[in-house]
Amino acid sequence: MKVIVVGAGKVGTQLVESLLNEKHDVTVIDNSQEVINNLNDNFDVLAIKGNGVSSSLLRDVECSAADLLIAVTDSDEANIVSCISAKKMGTKCVIARVRSPEYVNESEFMRKTLGINYIINPELSTAHHIMRLLFNEHVSYTEDFAKGRVRITEIQVSPTSNLLHKQIKDLNLPKAIIITAITRGGEVIIPNGFTTIDPLDTLYVMGERNSVDTFAQTVGSKIIRDRIKNVFITGGGRTALYLARELEHLGVNVKIAEQDYERCRLLAERLDNTLVLHGDGTDINLLKAEKVEEMDAFVALTGFDEENMLVALLAKQLGAGKVIAKISRSSYTSLLETIGIDNAVIPKLITARDILRIIRGGRIVSLSLLIGGRAEVLEVLPQPDSPIVNKQLKDLGIPEGLIIGAILRDGQVIIPKGDAIVKSTDRVIVFTLENHMDKVTKLFGVRGGQKGIL
Amino acid sequence: MNLLVVVKVLGMLLLCEAVAMLPSLVVALIYGENTVWAFMISVLITASLGLLFFKVKVKENVIRYKEGFAIVTFGWLLASLMGSLPFLFTGALPSVVDALFETISGFTTTGSTVIQDLEVLPKSLLFWRSVTHWLGGMGILVLALAIQPALGVGTFQILKAESPGPISSKLTPRVSGTAKILYRTYLVITVVHIILLAVGGMPIFDSIIHAFGSVSTGGFSLKNASLGAYNNVYFEIVILIFMILSGINFSLYYFAFKNKNLRDFFHDTELKVYLFIIALYTIIITININGHVYHSLAESIRYAAFQVGSVITTTGYVTANFDLWPDLSKALIVTLMFVGACAGSTSGSIKVIRIHLVFKYIQREINRLVHPRAVKAIKINNVAVQENILTNVVSFFMLYILIFSFAALVLLTQNLDLVSAVTASAAAIGNIGPGLGLVGPSSSYAALTNVAKLLLAFLMIVGRLELYTVLSLLFPQTWKA
Repeated sequence: MKVIVVGAGKVGTQLVESLLNEKHDVTVIDNSQEVINNLNDNFDVLAIKGNGVSSSLLRDVECSAADLLIAVTDSDEANIVSCISAKKMGTKCVIARVRSPEYVNESEFMRKTLGINYIINPELSTAHHIMRLLFNEHVSYTEDFAKGRVRITEIQVSPTSNLLHKQIKDLNLPKAIIITAITRGGEVIIPNGFTTIDPLDTLYVMGERNSVDTFAQTVGSKIIRDRIKNVFITGGGRTALYLARELEHLGVNVKIAEQDYERCRLLAERLDNTLVLHGDGTDINLLKAEKVEEMDAFVALTGFDEENMLVALLAKQLGAGKVIAKISRSSYTSLLETIGIDNAVIPKLITARDILRIIRGGRIVSLSLLIGGRAEVLEVLPQPDSPIVNKQLKDLGIPEGLIIGAILRDGQVIIPKGDAIVKSTDRVIVFTLENHMDKVTKLFGVRGGQKGIL
Repeated sequence: MNLLVVVKVLGMLLLCEAVAMLPSLVVALIYGENTVWAFMISVLITASLGLLFFKVKVKENVIRYKEGFAIVTFGWLLASLMGSLPFLFTGALPSVVDALFETISGFTTTGSTVIQDLEVLPKSLLFWRSVTHWLGGMGILVLALAIQPALGVGTFQILKAESPGPISSKLTPRVSGTAKILYRTYLVITVVHIILLAVGGMPIFDSIIHAFGSVSTGGFSLKNASLGAYNNVYFEIVILIFMILSGINFSLYYFAFKNKNLRDFFHDTELKVYLFIIALYTIIITININGHVYHSLAESIRYAAFQVGSVITTTGYVTANFDLWPDLSKALIVTLMFVGACAGSTSGSIKVIRIHLVFKYIQREINRLVHPRAVKAIKINNVAVQENILTNVVSFFMLYILIFSFAALVLLTQNLDLVSAVTASAAAIGNIGPGLGLVGPSSSYAALTNVAKLLLAFLMIVGRLELYTVLSLLFPQTWKA
């Protein structure tokens, strides 16, 4: 398929990578020569320097024949105009990134009247994602699939755990769960029965929801049953604004610390019950004065990764319940697990995930990116005539990095073995490393002519 | 200061006033009163002076802040001066001070009177008194703006200076359009009010006088005992409802009408607080007077509600002599004099929105003691109020109290007792009308000294034009180029 990406910033580049993994033809437009050179050096794409709003440039890249245009430049307005122009010139589907809070309630207008098929708001998505993390019983990353029946959760192995130095086959895992991946010192390992568990490993455990919870508890993961009532946010950017607004709606007490006075004013004007504090949110005196130790959750959302990580650690040390840090460089994620931050939120991955969900559309019901974008979990409805249907899994030549984690059939969660068979009426939860994504689409026949765009 | 443009606008104003005197002339003709000549001469003088002013050649047709303040202040003084002519020429009020007091009390919708026996006054004069109310309620200059759109650039300054409330906004792109909308709304409410009173059996002339008095929140009646003379529950309910309606921001009516729904109307913060205050005061006063002054609960509610509605809207109609009520009720009535109704209405005093903001401001300061670093926005209708408006409101509040106290002190030198002096000052600056004691609901201002009368008349104008408009002219900087 032919895809045009306008703007190759953090999200743009991440997208290009994901799209190439799925064997799409990608054209990238960006107005910085440096970025273009960088793209040409690292990826097999057509990179063109220019203004993505210009109609002559759009004509030159043959946007009339393109299946998809994704506008992710820094400017909302440029993204909107670029999408409208491309749509008028014949691009099948257009996606614009629009992040200004003023446009939040206008996505309906943009879709219906301006003809932009999808609006992506990274900060809003990030806020939604944090909301999910906050209201999750698990302290660490957890996500549910198949309407909450299947759960995948991250388990940090503590140095005193009774799992240590055992091989997986000796662990007596409950039937309804499977360890899909282990990260060890930044490496992703797809385990088999003979893999041993080391200290500081992180396990990604998938399975039937209650079984996963029980297992997580027996190995010492904390589970919070009380509802979140007090949240402290450091850094008052857009994500903080969206997050505070949603928390306010649920009656949660929110405090935001922000250094810039004008920004504080703006937050105070836009929020109703949130306490906006003018001050350095990384200052221990401020944190103590505002009783961070009594907070159920602490969210670090400043613009600096290092600051977020450190203040999150500080809050954890002071005694805050759940600690979440926003990180823009996914290379830091492996570090976070070891230093003890409960959750890292990576906005560019969330955005890329949002866009991938749209692109794959159709029979892929939901999708998340794990381990800094190096792995995905998908919920797929297989095509009736696709290769996977009615064959034993062991005969399909499924590569090592691709795991059929769970099958949902008639409300039952099945953790499949090699002799299991997928039926066309099943929902399948797949765990895959990024380089096997095209294999997933082939196996399940979800590519081409379906309800999705591509 | 661009004086020529000020003079020109004042000319337009006087022409409007001359036209406004004509209906009273017609009334005089209908009833065959000997006041016809007095009105004819008044119209002639006002119109010729107006024409003279209006014909002034203006070099630069621009109205800025200063000119806006000057036009409004001098406009009100001049209009009052001309408006007092009929009282002088008919001989109803031979003293210039009395005639001026009565006219200013009319235009500022205060409703205090120096006429001891209203019932012997010619109908045409009674009518003129009420016309001054009606014009002053929405603003005489707003009327001039509605009629003559091409008065100059920057006429919004006039609208801002004359219309009550901390925040003025246009309803339409043009000032004249906004002025027309305001007057149209005002006219509709007035006509409905007249009809409702007449349907209930009040004589048509009395209905007009009382409708003018209540929609302008003025309070002039044609009976010595004010509305109490009729002792009619229906009249009282209709007038109470219309006083309260006139105390609501007129732009709310416009938006409700334009958007064809009442959702925003009832979600307005100021309106909610206003109705809450009325309800709260009515309940407390009812409990306080029930059994002591009145013997049935229904009677207590009837009199409490009317007096509360009348004072908070700064109308000043009375159906009961609240001077005879228990001290708590009297004190509550006095505190109500400092509240007033909503901004953008025809009422006077401080206005609910300002009181509300002052309370929010205090609340924020207290909150700051607990969280010294907290940044908090004060919101009205979910929109943050700008800090400079807040400062303005707080200083308005202090200035209001300052002027009121100072005037009360001066009144004490004019043979008034403490209660009378304090309430006379509050009733004048708040454009209410009756106070307590010597200036209570059952007496008039006739017995006061000329100094006291002039001071009160000045207070009325200062209060009606919301302090800053008049006071800015007392500073020499305003007059420098």
